[in-house]
Amino acid sequence: MINEKENIYETKSIPHVDPSMFEFVQVDERIFDKKFETKPIGYFKDAMIRFTKNKTNVTASIILAILILLSIIVPVITPKNYKRMEDQVAFLPPRVPLIEKLGILDGIVKYTDQPVRRETIDPDTGIGLPEGKLPQFIIPGSVKMYTRPCHEKNEFCYDGVNIVRLREPGTATLQAKNAYSFVVANNPILEVKVTEIFGTNTKAVIRLALAPNNALDLGEITEPGTYRFNINDLLSREEDFDARVQVVASSDIQDGSVTMEYIKLFDSSSEEPIVDENGYYFSVNYVMYQGNGIFERANGIYYRADFEYNIYADRFFERRERAMSEDQYLSIINANPSACVVVPNSEEYPDVLITYKEGCPIKRVVKQNEPMVVDGKTYNTYDVVLDYMRYKGYEKIPYYLFGTDYEGKDYFALLWYGLRTSLFVGVVVAFINISIGIVYGAIEGYYGGWVDLLMERFTEIIGRIPFLVWLSFFLLLFKKPGPAMLILLLTVTGWLGVASVTRTQFYRYKGREYVLASRTLGAKDSRIIFRHILPNGIGTIITASVLMVPAVIFSESTVSYLGYGIGRGTSINLGLFELSGTSIGVLLAEGRTYIVDKPYLLVYPTIIISILMITFNMFGNALRDAFNPSLRGSE
Amino acid sequence: MLRYIIIRFIWIFIVLFTFLSILFVTIRLVPEYPPTDKDQKEIYYEKLRADGYYYTEVIKDPAEVARIRRGQHDPCKKCYYKDETNQYRVYKPVPIASQYVRWVKNVLGHWNWGVSTRVQPNRGVFELAKERLPHTLKLNLIALFIYIPIGFTFGIIAALKKDKLVDNIISLGVMIFISIPNFVLLFILILVFAYGFKWLPTNWLSSDIKGIGQYTQLILPVLALSFGEIAYLTRLTRAELTEVLTSEFLLLARTKGLTRRQAVVRHALRNSLVPLVPSIIFSFVALVSGSMVIERVYSIPGMGSLYFQALTLGNMDYNVILALSAFYTSISLFAVLLVDLSYGLVDPRIRMGARK
Repeated sequence: MINEKENIYETKSIPHVDPSMFEFVQVDERIFDKKFETKPIGYFKDAMIRFTKNKTNVTASIILAILILLSIIVPVITPKNYKRMEDQVAFLPPRVPLIEKLGILDGIVKYTDQPVRRETIDPDTGIGLPEGKLPQFIIPGSVKMYTRPCHEKNEFCYDGVNIVRLREPGTATLQAKNAYSFVVANNPILEVKVTEIFGTNTKAVIRLALAPNNALDLGEITEPGTYRFNINDLLSREEDFDARVQVVASSDIQDGSVTMEYIKLFDSSSEEPIVDENGYYFSVNYVMYQGNGIFERANGIYYRADFEYNIYADRFFERRERAMSEDQYLSIINANPSACVVVPNSEEYPDVLITYKEGCPIKRVVKQNEPMVVDGKTYNTYDVVLDYMRYKGYEKIPYYLFGTDYEGKDYFALLWYGLRTSLFVGVVVAFINISIGIVYGAIEGYYGGWVDLLMERFTEIIGRIPFLVWLSFFLLLFKKPGPAMLILLLTVTGWLGVASVTRTQFYRYKGREYVLASRTLGAKDSRIIFRHILPNGIGTIITASVLMVPAVIFSESTVSYLGYGIGRGTSINLGLFELSGTSIGVLLAEGRTYIVDKPYLLVYPTIIISILMITFNMFGNALRDAFNPSLRGSE
Repeated sequence: MLRYIIIRFIWIFIVLFTFLSILFVTIRLVPEYPPTDKDQKEIYYEKLRADGYYYTEVIKDPAEVARIRRGQHDPCKKCYYKDETNQYRVYKPVPIASQYVRWVKNVLGHWNWGVSTRVQPNRGVFELAKERLPHTLKLNLIALFIYIPIGFTFGIIAALKKDKLVDNIISLGVMIFISIPNFVLLFILILVFAYGFKWLPTNWLSSDIKGIGQYTQLILPVLALSFGEIAYLTRLTRAELTEVLTSEFLLLARTKGLTRRQAVVRHALRNSLVPLVPSIIFSFVALVSGSMVIERVYSIPGMGSLYFQALTLGNMDYNVILALSAFYTSISLFAVLLVDLSYGLVDPRIRMGARK
């Protein structure tokens, strides 16, 4: 007996209705053989209704459609350059109108730990100009100065000492790269400041090398201090001479060292020293000459700055163009007759040949180069400074929505361009896969028996070999990656799924009466396969194949990421239009290399491919659900 | 049953062997990349001779030696001319057919897969792979132990709460994670957690690092590997379980008086396992090959990165390619066998290869 409480089907009692309460809607006309007035809902309409019912899928499909449209339209209509290299604007960060006002995506780069020349530091504010940057484009108030110790042989590493360190007990000789001129009449004095001497029996001998085997000792140093050597007194030479200064360090222990601050050469001709070797210049002007020792820097000081910089303004400000041809020069001047008016040279650049008025693409002509004569014709070239913004035809500094890549290509256009390649490869390869799969599966399913068994074993062998092992096999065969290899690689295992679906469909339909009837009437196998069975199974086959496109894009981006895709720089010529080798996978691989300081190069392709894959899969699933409601939720 | 397994083993062997033979012959036909260093090169060719792929010929004729020295001889493509002051020792390859026979003997008889040429010149390939294997195994096994329970749990929750909010959220998550390629997912994780929050390392730190680093360096690659598999398993479990939950025997279980919990745990779950176990094995195969790319992205010194190192254009290491292709292909082949056998284990009614 079933317990009333646990019965999962609660039967609702139907209230008793008196038959007399019913009445006929109409009795005077017979309508059972009349046509329906409403339109019948066909297979596709039914599918469409089911498709539009799910709002999420509709949204996904719309987003997908927008992506595909953008990938077709943007590369065609964009005014920006995404095909040629333009090093002037390489690595510009993203800059988006309106959003830039919020302080993000405004094209301003934060620089950290940039070297500053000590000479540029303002004694009042303590702020200097970072090397290679223009002061007007540094965001006011963003500069933070600090110092840190350094020991690099680097011109920004100021002051400090230079150490001769012995790697083993013995002697090591340090020698100046250049010889100094000693003028006897001017009473030359050599000054050496030694700050530390380390190690038992360590000493330094200061020596003048006149010729390779002719050296004269000036004196020996065993204690730190400032030593002055009066050359005339010590050597008593009568003629002027050139000599290289040597420091011969010797010690009884390993790591014995002589630390020097500077070597200066004074003479009565001037107050300032004639030669002043200190800091970085000391470290590069002197080299180890003999013996097993090293010459090191220590206790130097770096002047560093963190700051924000308007890199867009900087890049579009000006560009020095060497050797601009006369034709190009004249065409620029003639194209802007109102703006290109010669004005007097400015105070800042007094030495240039010509200065043009503000607003002309050419700012200044620095000099005229030597004319070149080729085949009797003379070619003139000029060294000019361009107003890069106007030279490129912009009225204002342009916006690069996604920034630019390492070649100065507009990343926004390049991404859609790459997406187009990915989509195109996806569609073409999916088409090939579906075609092969249908024919193969049809033959398998239709003939069955031994044919089926053998063909199944074949697919098994192909399908069991991992994709990346196939990759290595094709790489060996083709020797270098290219479009043919990519398509073959994506096809080799891609068709198996379609083949198996088709095979199942053929097993299902081949025993039907209409097939038998057709065969009785003398139809050939090919006719039965392609005209009778295939059209019946095609719905299932095609909907199962919709998801092929994102799957191919997935594989293609993996292969391209690994560097075995078509690759940037190469292209496939398709007659009507050219397909670039730059796919999303290629952009991902490039973005990966700049992940540390230019993450936007990785972020944008990652977002685009993620959205593409998600929406494509949702669209494919929705389409399949719409056509085969029984499959919903599975696979 | 035993007969069936034996037949399957032979079949696996045939597939593997056929493919490797094709690969071997292809390799012998394309330009080779011996070690670049001169000493290493000599050792390498000497090893090839010892293994029987090459034989040597000594050229003593002074006129001939002088011609070789001047580069006026016509060199055979794959030969190596070793300069021995007054004479030349020429290493010449034996015909490919004999090389193939030797190779089969070496591999099957002595388990000698040859030496690496470019990755680590003159190191045994098998030895090299053995060194890299633990990283790959660790990565994949941790991912396996993470994705199976989580995938199951989500799948069960989604099936039991079908068409409710929880199910919709899980389904959306499944759709997202199944779509995004796992290496792209790793980029997202690296950008967010390594560069954004700076919580985790941006790269594999080191193989023999001590302390907390040896665990934190595993988190991102394991997550990137598992997300896709979790999504796959969730979807599968949900589909299977929904089907079983609406089946008649479950209705019978309820009608005979079991509570919903009892019916789900004792009847539904066990029955939905039948198609799930094989899928898990297949997904593990997908995981292993997916980890090859992950290893490359996160620079983990595993088998996958070794494989790509050996595949560098213009710097190929054929013996490594051959050995690792064998490894990955056999994993895939044995997984199929395991799948077929597991049907019998999970569902005793299925007897593979049994005569009807």
